[in-house]
Amino acid sequence: MDLTTELVSGTRGLKLKNPVMNASGTFGYGTEYSSLIDIQELGAVVTKGTTIESRAGNPQPRLKETPAGMLNSIGLQNIGVEAVIAQKAPLWATWRVPVIVNIAGSQVEDYAVLASRLSVVDGVSGLEVNISCPNVKAGGVAFGASPRMAAEVTRGVVSSTTLPVIVKLSPNVSDIVEIAVAVREAGAHVLCLVNTLRGTAIDINSRRPFLGNGMGGLSGPAIRPVALAMVYQAAKMVDIPIIGCGGIATAADALEFIMAGASAVQVGAAQFVDPSSLLRIAEGIDEFMEREGVKYLSELVGVAL
Amino acid sequence: MKQELARVLSNEEIMEGGHLLWLEAPGITGSGTEPGQYLMLRCGTSYDPFLRRPMSIHRVMGERLAVVFKVLGKGTTILAACKAGDSIDMLGPLGHGFHIERGSLNLLLVAGGLGVAPLTFLADEALADGCRVTLLLGTPTASWRFPQRLLPEGASVQVVTEDGSEGTRGLVSDLAAELESDFDMVCACGPAAMYKAMVDSGISASRKVQVSLETNLACGVGACLGCTVQTRLGLKQVCSDGPVFDLADLLI
Repeated sequence: MDLTTELVSGTRGLKLKNPVMNASGTFGYGTEYSSLIDIQELGAVVTKGTTIESRAGNPQPRLKETPAGMLNSIGLQNIGVEAVIAQKAPLWATWRVPVIVNIAGSQVEDYAVLASRLSVVDGVSGLEVNISCPNVKAGGVAFGASPRMAAEVTRGVVSSTTLPVIVKLSPNVSDIVEIAVAVREAGAHVLCLVNTLRGTAIDINSRRPFLGNGMGGLSGPAIRPVALAMVYQAAKMVDIPIIGCGGIATAADALEFIMAGASAVQVGAAQFVDPSSLLRIAEGIDEFMEREGVKYLSELVGVAL
Repeated sequence: MKQELARVLSNEEIMEGGHLLWLEAPGITGSGTEPGQYLMLRCGTSYDPFLRRPMSIHRVMGERLAVVFKVLGKGTTILAACKAGDSIDMLGPLGHGFHIERGSLNLLLVAGGLGVAPLTFLADEALADGCRVTLLLGTPTASWRFPQRLLPEGASVQVVTEDGSEGTRGLVSDLAAELESDFDMVCACGPAAMYKAMVDSGISASRKVQVSLETNLACGVGACLGCTVQTRLGLKQVCSDGPVFDLADLLI
């Protein structure tokens, strides 16, 4: 069966051998899981969120298990864009799998600076614009919550790079469709829905929030129906490809997102549980297509709309 | 590092709520294991409980390995119900373990509660290498004490209980600080409070003290950055840079 997924066409497009990639922040820079799975078989690798300067992230504890999910408050800990370019990109340039760098800023201009810098780096095949991290005050969800700001960030990035631009949206907004439309009109090539849902947990013994940062982002199967509904709503209103993300753990989950309008999917928390998830999901989609007599994956995209 | 469906060989309740599991794991043991390294065990096959549970390697014999754990919640309740013949999905060996400096002949091992688990593996290896091993076994009370019969043969064991129900009454950290100067190296595994108490009771900040840290983990491979700790050497991941660190490098 043909699982290739062309998210962006053209010479500097984004063509994936299958629609399954990791979600940013769950896969480091691609090398961390390489002794467990063949990462070259993935649709794409998406890096940890990258900022201009390095960031130490949030205080411990940063993780808390929840029913069928988990909270995290990493706080965009990363080594900074120059270290990424010097230490990580040379290896990516030798890979067959496309690497998408997730970028985050604390002001609108930061995104354009990051986009322009990464645009000329070998080994970078696309950018994912993070306007949806719930764990940092600046640079995160603040940009993703306003259609105007989201559009402004998107315009800045698109005008600073020739790379394909994915914009990852936050579910922590009153109307995600409004944001999706604004970002699309600002020139984004692809949307990714959704980042983590804001959540928290209280330690009843200490009577304090469990996470060091007070709140965090919820991921895992617990959020899947919420994320799926957002993809379903947005897909009806925008005409650019959508990457579905949120609680996907099986091929059936991924197929739900695809039928709801996603052209590709990201898998995050589930691969902590089972590092073979990403490849298993791609295989499961292939098996489904074979069983159902579907030759091209694109035949399934949005069929439930 | 391997992901492997390990077959349960035995599951024994060795103390109140405490279990010893022996598993057949040729892939993981075949990758080479060192004392202080750990495994991530999936608890059941559903997504609730969600995350894997990290557990130190307690012992290795050929292709078999053991873990010990206390039943604390949903995940460990599932593991405690495992029977011989069941399979457990495991990742490992993970992280970096204890490193015995060449020429260290006389080791002091300091265990807080089930922190004795990886120290047993360490004692097995050190004794086989001809080291002398003294193990301080700290526990709140005698009924929670790790069974004598499962401790490494040939190690000299001193029990310390907080309530005086067995052995010396007091904190294992105090005894460790008192005895430290007689030993070439000190290796400890217990709660963070124990390391703090060791520092407070004046244990040396020299390179000869190694401790195993515990934090919540998600990935176990250095990918999610959920377990980052600030050290004198900068940010470190407990899961992949550790869990064993030099006490002198930690900001305790």
